[in-house]
Amino acid sequence: MRPLTSRSARRRPLAAAAGAAAALALGAAAWTGAGWYGAAHDDALAFARARDAVATAAGQGVRDLNTLDHRDVADGYDTWEDSTTGELHTQLTEGREAFTAQVREARTVTTAEVLATAVTELDERAGKAGVMVAVRITVDAPEEDPAVKDSRLLAELTRTESGWKLSALSPAPLGESAPAPAE
Amino acid sequence: MSGRETRASGAVASEVVAPEGVASEVVASGAASSGAAGSGPAAPPTRRLPRRLPRRLRAAAAVALTVALLAAGGLLLAHARHLTAGDAAGNRALTDTAATDRVTVEVSDALHRVFSYGPDTLERTERDAETLLTGPAAADYAELFPRVEQEVGAQELTLTTHTVRAGVTELTADRARLLVFLDQTARRAGHEPTTTAAQLTVEAELRDGRWRITDLTPR
Repeated sequence: MRPLTSRSARRRPLAAAAGAAAALALGAAAWTGAGWYGAAHDDALAFARARDAVATAAGQGVRDLNTLDHRDVADGYDTWEDSTTGELHTQLTEGREAFTAQVREARTVTTAEVLATAVTELDERAGKAGVMVAVRITVDAPEEDPAVKDSRLLAELTRTESGWKLSALSPAPLGESAPAPAE
Repeated sequence: MSGRETRASGAVASEVVAPEGVASEVVASGAASSGAAGSGPAAPPTRRLPRRLPRRLRAAAAVALTVALLAAGGLLLAHARHLTAGDAAGNRALTDTAATDRVTVEVSDALHRVFSYGPDTLERTERDAETLLTGPAAADYAELFPRVEQEVGAQELTLTTHTVRAGVTELTADRARLLVFLDQTARRAGHEPTTTAAQLTVEAELRDGRWRITDLTPR
């Protein structure tokens, strides 16, 4: 009996410590689990992520649609069609042949740098968004100095199965009657 | 004796399976009392050996569980951090509509007041600029202003600036970056008014209850 008593007395603190540690660990896991659940199911966070996805897609789309090399119009135009959906996509597809001929004729190389974007409207349920984009477009034509032009654009994006894509793109007009792109 | 031992290990078990907390403790103490009543002093020798092993196993299980829970907790914490620590969570643009609207209105108003002037309003414009601009924007404006005064006087120039559209790119509690599309109409004596389009990136800071422009970059 005695050896057992002393042995168990020696062992019990260990067991108790292990139990306490396990309990603490469980508490910690529950706490982090709750934190994770909150983060994973946070509507505001999901909205913020959608906003950033829209801004990135708008910047990428505007850059794509202002980048074209006459030596490789087919690839460039494929990218245009890939970056767009809806009305804009239809327009581009219909105008492909004429535009390709035009670019080959002018032998221009157009590049674009997106300077700033700001998402002004985002309707996650409808899958529509409006984005302001400031872009610097450089057009290189043979025997001419490159023409650099800063433009302000209003983009409308629509959510598709493969992410947000441009469904309308137009220069922001002068005057206060600028239509809201997402309406 | 054996009852106390059982309770000790029972306590471990109940702590390990904490979700059932109370229930497992009741079960554990129930087992302890039945063990003490049923076995008596003669029983322990036969029970001692099989009991020592499970107890070790229990301790090992408790340690393994602790490690597993800590690891799971760590992973959850890391993933939660990953979810919330990105720029998306820190940026309130559009997610906080009231704050987004407020900074948009105040910055648009500031741009209108600071970049609208004429022969009769130069003084007011300069005064407004002192409160609405700060940091590099204030320094740039102070440098530019003598030229503005000269132009206004010489050409009877009146400039009116309107925000066509403003969007918030980034927003925290007291910092913001906006993209603003402006129209500027210049009226000069003997000339037709001309309107030009401008686009600016504006940095602003909330200080003393008002958004003030700290930096302006033409785009």
